[in-house]
Amino acid sequence: MTSHVDFAAEIDNVSHIFSGRAQAIVDVTLKVKAGEFVSIVGPSGCGKTTILNLLAGLIPLQRGTIAVAGKQPHAGRHDVAYMLARDCLFPWRTAIQNAMVGTEFRGISKAEGSRRALGFLKRVGLDEFADHYPKALSHGMRQRVALARTFAMESSILLMDEPFGALDAQTKMQLEALLLDLWNDERRSVVFITHDLSEAVTLSDRVIVMSARPGRIVDNISIPLPRPRSVRSLQKDPAYHELYAKVWSRLEFTLDTNAQALST
Amino acid sequence: MIGHEVDQRGKTLSAQLVALVLFLALWEWVSTAKIIEPLFIGRPSGIAKYLYTALTNGTILTEAAWTLGATLSAFALGSFFGIAFGLLFAVFPSAEKFFEPFFSAFNALPRVALAPLFLLWFGLGVGSKIALGLSLTFFIVLANTIAGARSVDRDFLILSQTLGASKSKIFFKVTLMSAIPTIFSGLKLGLIYALLGVIAGEIIASQHGLGQMLTFLAGTFDTNGVFGVLVLLGLIGVILTNIMTMLERRLLRWR
Repeated sequence: MTSHVDFAAEIDNVSHIFSGRAQAIVDVTLKVKAGEFVSIVGPSGCGKTTILNLLAGLIPLQRGTIAVAGKQPHAGRHDVAYMLARDCLFPWRTAIQNAMVGTEFRGISKAEGSRRALGFLKRVGLDEFADHYPKALSHGMRQRVALARTFAMESSILLMDEPFGALDAQTKMQLEALLLDLWNDERRSVVFITHDLSEAVTLSDRVIVMSARPGRIVDNISIPLPRPRSVRSLQKDPAYHELYAKVWSRLEFTLDTNAQALST
Repeated sequence: MIGHEVDQRGKTLSAQLVALVLFLALWEWVSTAKIIEPLFIGRPSGIAKYLYTALTNGTILTEAAWTLGATLSAFALGSFFGIAFGLLFAVFPSAEKFFEPFFSAFNALPRVALAPLFLLWFGLGVGSKIALGLSLTFFIVLANTIAGARSVDRDFLILSQTLGASKSKIFFKVTLMSAIPTIFSGLKLGLIYALLGVIAGEIIASQHGLGQMLTFLAGTFDTNGVFGVLVLLGLIGVILTNIMTMLERRLLRWR
């Protein structure tokens, strides 16, 4: 085994500028171990999504180096699955057909695709809704189908861009619990973008705190809470609240310095 | 609740029927009393009599079959080429840039003005009628296909790309699928315009079809006959539209 296989993602000194706009990210260096769950938090516009899009190969790398499982990033790699805040379910496909989209696009046989899709629909509690069209599903249910679609691809690396950002608080907690369960059973490497600190602390092994634009990494906080975790009981765990406060103080610090920079 | 709605619909329907009967009675009276010259407006009983004979001896049905045949051919050809070119333009925007000025110039032309030319090229028969209907349907379906293919959700494309879909898979399984509702509304409109083009062609010069019957009947001052053909034409239009709506409901259940 070569050393790079130990890392799901290695980001080295990466900077990115969008043409005609301010610098998005500066000198970002970050390593994600295989099987690790890493969240990136930061104020909006700090370049979180830029990092994810670079990893996904959706935008070209400008400066620095990036390796995803030891190889250059490019869109459509079979070992990477990408999930957005919008469920992006195709309205003309039923829940099961949507859960099969990834395997179908990757040329995996229909039998295998539907076996996996049904398995994950069951895991997210939607097997009874397999033949429903998205219009008949609630927001939370739709995002659960998207979760099944993402996991059915059996990619070892998951890139998630605020996947629960559009949901109400209760549904969000349900889906976080679901993600924790799925992740516990199938250890994938996850890079998770969010602006919700409690979500980041609840789910992650490590939380990366970024400053406001231009985005830099200001802290890298490990979350040594024991696993498996329960979203609900964590709410009553003082260790969780301590970690939450720690992440918050770091984020607050970046907001303050940003405010100072703006006022001078 | 539902019972109430059915009740309401029943009431509306009976009111409509009463209004229709009153209108026909008034028409009959105005015509028989010669308040308006019957030559201009015919009379409902005369129209019914005409339709009865024409339907029983089958003449009007043969002519309707000519019109319908031409309409469906014009529709099928126009839709086929409209969708084909629309998709071609969606895939190759440079092709659209090339064809666009020619197509818009042609589309801006009042199509009926082309009828004499089509008669010259395709003769008095069904060919010139199909050409006229086709020239109308084509542009409607083309415009809708392009609009539909363009309206595809950008996030769908990004997602498909990250999922590893090939270009052809993205085209057939994402772009085309999201274009279908818009294409379908183009087809619905295109069918009505195919009928319009065919009737216009038959009115101008033809040996067959309901349009030709209209010119003949009007030329011989058979006003009841003219109205009879119009009733049948209206009926055909309604049936065609309903068939398309039914198809749409079945195919686009997911909406």
